[in-house]
Parts: sequence; structure tokens; C-alpha cells
Amino acid sequence: MSERLTELAERRRKAMAGGGHKRLERQHALGKWTARERLDALFDPGTFVELDLFTTHRSSLFGMDRAESPADGVVTGYGAVGGRLVYAYAQDFTVLGGSLGEMHAGKIHKVQDLALKSGAPIIGIADSGGARIQEGIDALNGYGEIFRRNTLASGVVPQISVIVGPAAGGAVYSPAITDFVLMAEGIGQMYITGPQVIESVTGEQVTHEELGGAHTHARRSGNAHLTFATEQELFAGLKRLLRYLPSNNLSQPPNEESKEPPAGAAERMRGIVPEDANKPYDVRDVIHGLVDAGEFLELQPEFARNLVIGFARVEGHTVALVGNQPKVLAGCLDIDASDKLARFVRFADAFSIPVITFVDTPGYLPGTKQEYGGIIRHGAKVLYAYSEATVPKVSVVLRKAYGGAYLAMCSRSLGADTVLAFPTAEVAVMGPDGAANIIFRAEIEAAEDPVAERKRLVETYRAEFASPYVAAAHGYVDQVIDPAELRPAVSRALWALRQKREERPPKKHGNIPL
Amino acid sequence: MRRFRVIVNGLAYEVEVEELASDGAVAAPHAAAAASPAHAPVPAPPAPAPVPAAEAKKPARKAETPAPAAAAAGAITSPLPGTVLDVKVQVGDAVSEGQVVAILEAMKMENEITAPHAGSVTAVHVKAGSAVGLGDALLEIG
Repeated sequence: MSERLTELAERRRKAMAGGGHKRLERQHALGKWTARERLDALFDPGTFVELDLFTTHRSSLFGMDRAESPADGVVTGYGAVGGRLVYAYAQDFTVLGGSLGEMHAGKIHKVQDLALKSGAPIIGIADSGGARIQEGIDALNGYGEIFRRNTLASGVVPQISVIVGPAAGGAVYSPAITDFVLMAEGIGQMYITGPQVIESVTGEQVTHEELGGAHTHARRSGNAHLTFATEQELFAGLKRLLRYLPSNNLSQPPNEESKEPPAGAAERMRGIVPEDANKPYDVRDVIHGLVDAGEFLELQPEFARNLVIGFARVEGHTVALVGNQPKVLAGCLDIDASDKLARFVRFADAFSIPVITFVDTPGYLPGTKQEYGGIIRHGAKVLYAYSEATVPKVSVVLRKAYGGAYLAMCSRSLGADTVLAFPTAEVAVMGPDGAANIIFRAEIEAAEDPVAERKRLVETYRAEFASPYVAAAHGYVDQVIDPAELRPAVSRALWALRQKREERPPKKHGNIPL
Repeated sequence: MRRFRVIVNGLAYEVEVEELASDGAVAAPHAAAAASPAHAPVPAPPAPAPVPAAEAKKPARKAETPAPAAAAAGAITSPLPGTVLDVKVQVGDAVSEGQVVAILEAMKMENEITAPHAGSVTAVHVKAGSAVGLGDALLEIG
């Protein structure tokens, strides 16, 4: 027996050593953690159970018969994060460059299947040179089966991708299908075609980091939901995100103890939204004043900044927050903001997280760039996502809510369960200037002083219609509240909606405009 | 050489326009040809090594992180078509990242235009009352 035990210990030691001392040192020299260090940072100490440690490749072409691949370049398994079951895989760049071969992919498929069957979130940690070319079409098939599993698990268990190394070509499509992408600055890179290919085809010169680094995906492409300066911060951020999420679509998000917002928040709420509709403010100040302990996990904070999304808690329960941001692009909805909003609301709906929407938008952004870019089909996603959602939907009209954008931002018409409005709210078919021009055209033209008459009529319209009271009179707004009452009003509404059930006609799936 | 009069925001400018014939067309490929050898060779991956994509061989390090693309030109452009209400800085002023440098009235909102990075103001292209289009340069920060 002792010989057998010695052999086991020796085999374990060898497999756990990955690409060996030199390559592990090289990984550190690049400022990167190793696959096993990453999993240590993710899981509660001592809880990680590794699967398929002794898997190796079974390819013999192109010299692969002589190549060793401990654990075939990916560490897979499960463990506890904050006491809850989570599956994970971490690609090991020290073994054949973390390249994805048939068996490497097979290990990933196995944990994907287990996570789906057991209803647990799965975290994919990417640090890979791409497909293992020597294994040819079997490597390619490995990717395809990852994508298919990502898709089948979408909306069933939360899937999160962590990009802490290269992810090039096909490797980027798994993260793209998953719910959230987290990237480490200077380490993680994603692109479909790399700088060399781009230069040879289009002549453009671009560095790896410029093309696919964390900054690029956080600011320009919107592919990254959160970015971090270091891996340490990244894994802390990942655990923070997981605390808001349920394990699967049939379980509820975990509750925590209710915490009051910072002292004086209710009183300060009265001063955040300026009465003057032309003055900007930061909608996040409203969010901070509403949520437990003022803690708000903003997602995609640098992308489409004219719209704010993120998670927080109200009386201990997870909520998804969406808000127009008046201090950026006047809070207009545009293509990027629509995409950002719709995907987030659909995630919240899939995972039983109530959605709170703050409305202050002058409308969809005008311009040829938006129209040619397809704002019609992108903007339609907002309407679709809100109409489709059956989770509790609470809307708070802070100020401007005009026309199509009013409808889009989770209006009563799209099925909001509770609509609150501040006294500063202006709910109308369009802004006073535009409306007066149309309604009072004849009066303005006939007047002796058309400019003065126009001004007078705009004011008449504003006094009459640019308020929450017409909407309230017609039942589109349920309650007009003192801003200081925001937290009690929202938490009571959420309490009353906690057991909400809303059926949808049976269908295979809808056809959201894409 | 042809001369045109162009009116921008009520100010007339005289511009001269020269049409480039074959001379100009020849010059461009020359420049391109001279430039290309410098960056053309793609390092071949070492033959026996397993083959991660060529890019993956050299993960970029922190030092390579480039400045954000918008900063490259140093120009702050208008995010919306509108009217400049106020320019809060002058050429030579030092500004910090996020500092409000101008107010643009657009979409019925007094939009704050902020500095994308710290630096000093090298040019101001607009003044209070200027009408600007989407993407017009407002000012430049070096």
C-alpha cells in the first residue's frame, strides 16, 4: 500500500506543478498569478475540490507525443464562496500556453455540466493562447461545445468570466455569452483578430493593450462589466458581485441584514434633483441615498455613462438599479445605453432580482449617427426587456419623462408595478417648447409679438402639463412623493411585490430585436 | 489653385484649394513603402513549441498601456450638438482630470464638459454663444 501511496503523492505533485518551476516564475514575472493561486483567491480556504487532475492530452501528431500537459492546462472543480457552492475553471498558461485542446475542453465541459445540473454559478478564468493547433478540429469542437453549454446555462445559473491573460479568436465568445466579464488591467486582453492580423489586412497599427485591454473594453466596446488594477482587487470584486446573485433561476438572491443609508440621506435627497430642468446632477447620488449603507456596485461604469446600472440592497434584499444619468449626454438614451440597459434588465429578470428604474431623460439622442447606427432596433430592446420582465418593477420619475423615452423607461404602459414620482417630475408627450410650437402654432403666428406669445404659451403648457399631476390623475403615476420619503416608499413597494406572480403566454422564446 | 469663400458661424474665411494630380498620388505609396518594412516581419513562433496564437506569446505588460485614444489628439470634442454657454478656462490654465472646462447647452440641459485628463489648456476654439456640432473641437489640453 505504501508504494501505491507514494506513487499517488508523486503523481499529484507532478500534475500540480503545472508547467514547472521556470514557467511558474515567468508567470509571476509577467505580474500574473498562477491558475491555482487564482482559485485560492476565489474559494473559501480549504473548500476547493479539484477534478480531473490526472487528465492529459491524447494527441500524437506534430510532436505532441513528446509533449507533457499536466492537468492538460486547466484546473477545474468546485468549492465554497461565502459558504455557497460555486464551480470554476482556471486555464494554466504555464502548460502549453494554456492552449485549449480536446481534453482541456472536455474538463471545462464537465464542470459546465455539473454547474448546470446542480444549479450553481460557474466562473471561467481565461489565460490561454487559444486553440491548440496541433489537435486540429478536435480543439475547435472543444470551443463550440463550451459556447453551446454557455448558451444552455444562460438564464439558469449565473456565469461569470474573468480575463487575466490573453483570450483571442474564438476564446472571446464564451465570455461574450456569459453574464459578466471582469478584466485585470495590463494582463487581460480580448480580441477576435490580433494586432498582427489587423495590420496585415487593414494596415492599422495597434498594440495588444490598445486593441483589447481592460480600458478598451471598459470604455469603448462595453465588453467588460468591471475592471481592476490588480488580480487581488479583481477576485475581491468578483466575490462582492456573487453576494448579490442567486445560485440559479429557481432560488432567491441571498438576503443580508438591512442597513440604513448614511445618516441624513433622506433629508439630503430633497436637494439632489434641481428644480431647474436644465441643471444636471449625478443620479448615483439618488441611488446612494436610497440603498442599504449607500453601497452600490456599479457595472460598466465607464461605458455609455449616460445610463447607470448596478446592484445594491434595499432592506437586505438584492435590487437591480437602472437610472438615466443627466450629467452625461443630458441623460439621453442612445444605442450603447439601450444595449447596456436591456441586457442588465434581462439578467435581473432571469434571476428574480427586482428592478428599480430612475427616470430623467429628455429622450432618445437625435442625430444621423444614431439613426444610421440602428437606434430603432437598439432602442427597441429597452421596451422589449422591460415588457418581458416579470420580476417586481418599480419606477421613480425624478424629473423629465417625455415621449418615447418615458414609455421606454419602465412606464406603467410597459408593466411597471409601482410608479413613484418626485414633485419635480415632468411626464408629458413632449417637452414644453416642442409641444407649444405644435399645439399653439396658429396662436403664435397670429400674435402681434409671436416671440412673446410663444414664451407665454410655453409657460402655460409647462404649468399645466410639465408636472407629475396629469400622469397621476390618469393613473400612470401611483404616488407623488416627497424625495425624503423615497426609501420607505420603495421598500414598501418591494415588500408588497415580493410574492408577485405574472404569467406569460407559453412560447419557445421571444424574438428580441438585436 | 482655386479660391473659395467659406462662411462659418457668420465669419467669412477665404480658402485656397489645390487639386493634387499624379504627383500627389505617387508620393503616398512611397511613404507607405518606406514605412512598412519596419513593422512587417511577424515573429515566427518557435517551431517545436505548442502553438498558442502568435499574439498570445507576448502578453503586454503594464508599461505598454497606451494613453486613452481620445487623449491622443488632446482635443475635447462636443458630445452633443448645442450652444456653448460658458468657457471656464483660458489658454495656459492648468486643469485636473474631471475639472469642468465648459458648459454646453444641449438637449435642454446645461451639460458640463470635463477634462478627460490633467494638463494645461493649449487652445480654445469656442466662446460663449458658439454653436457647435457633434464632434466639433471645443478646446485642447496638452
